[in-house]
Amino acid sequence: MQTDIWIAIVIAAIGTYGLRVGPLLWTQRHINKHKANNTEAHLPTWLSVLGPLMIAAMLGASLIPKTPSLSSWLASAVGILVTTLVWRKFKTLGLPVFCGVLSFGLVFAAISIF
Amino acid sequence: MNASTQRSGLKQGILDGLPLLGGYIPVAISFGVIAVQAGFSTLEATLISVFIYAGASQFLLVAMVASGSPLWLAVCMTLLVNVRHVVYAPNLALHLTQSRAWPWLMHGLTDQIFALAHTRLPSMEESKKVDWFKGVSMVAWLSWVLGTALGGIAGDSLTQKWPVLDSVMPFALPALFLVLLAPKFANKVWSITLLVTMASALFIALSTFKNAAIPLAALTGALTFYLLTTRFDRKQSHAN
Repeated sequence: MQTDIWIAIVIAAIGTYGLRVGPLLWTQRHINKHKANNTEAHLPTWLSVLGPLMIAAMLGASLIPKTPSLSSWLASAVGILVTTLVWRKFKTLGLPVFCGVLSFGLVFAAISIF
Repeated sequence: MNASTQRSGLKQGILDGLPLLGGYIPVAISFGVIAVQAGFSTLEATLISVFIYAGASQFLLVAMVASGSPLWLAVCMTLLVNVRHVVYAPNLALHLTQSRAWPWLMHGLTDQIFALAHTRLPSMEESKKVDWFKGVSMVAWLSWVLGTALGGIAGDSLTQKWPVLDSVMPFALPALFLVLLAPKFANKVWSITLLVTMASALFIALSTFKNAAIPLAALTGALTFYLLTTRFDRKQSHAN
């Protein structure tokens, strides 16, 4: 591959890392400054609200099946329902995800066969 | 910190990271296939996954380079897609320890790792946090890197042989996000806000602005949250 493409990839890699680490360093400095002054550090409300919202947005965007069809949408609906029900019963992380994927797969396969 | 505490933090992180494999491996294989088709070697595609390690932006970068777009534009677009990451670390910062390892570990702060860390870290023992993050991010990073290599070497034949890998396993990601958000649905304001955010993301992602779906939906959700809390506060002050 040409050198200029590699330079572009390296810049993209450094930039992406910078977007992840830069805000951490800034926030840690903000927190440490408050600690030194014996005051409590508070993050802006909008920032703490944005955390769960980003996860909800990722959930919405990831719900779209790779090949959208009636069977994949129906399988997604069943998968979501099963994941929710298993989470309500067990309140764990792995089991609801496993049951959700399994039910998605079963519905998807069943509709494809029939 | 004793050895058993270290082990259990790492072990817990690895266990918590396992559901990510269902989502990461098929997408990483797809990236390997597409990068090789675009003219990159398997080694080059794998190195992109090692160092950039950001799903959607890698696809965009490879596609733009392959189509002959100006490189500066390809880099700018890659960074623009990844700019959402700036809100992740500040949301975790209050729950992190004083360890010097955190800045280095931020290379592993993907969307999914953020979602897991945001839910897990607040209730975790301080001594386990660094090891937990190492465990969960190593599982995700290794699956992404190895998946890319696998995709570059044998991706096409793999997805043809096991179509389930391509069509069913990615459902692990929405299922995981749902489990991480589920406790928030106990609150009415949060329930409405989250449903509006999810629906917005879904509709935007189905439109032509796919790459902007996450930040735009989060902004819509923030606006909804602001309107609902303002209305709620006003109701309470009237009641008093």
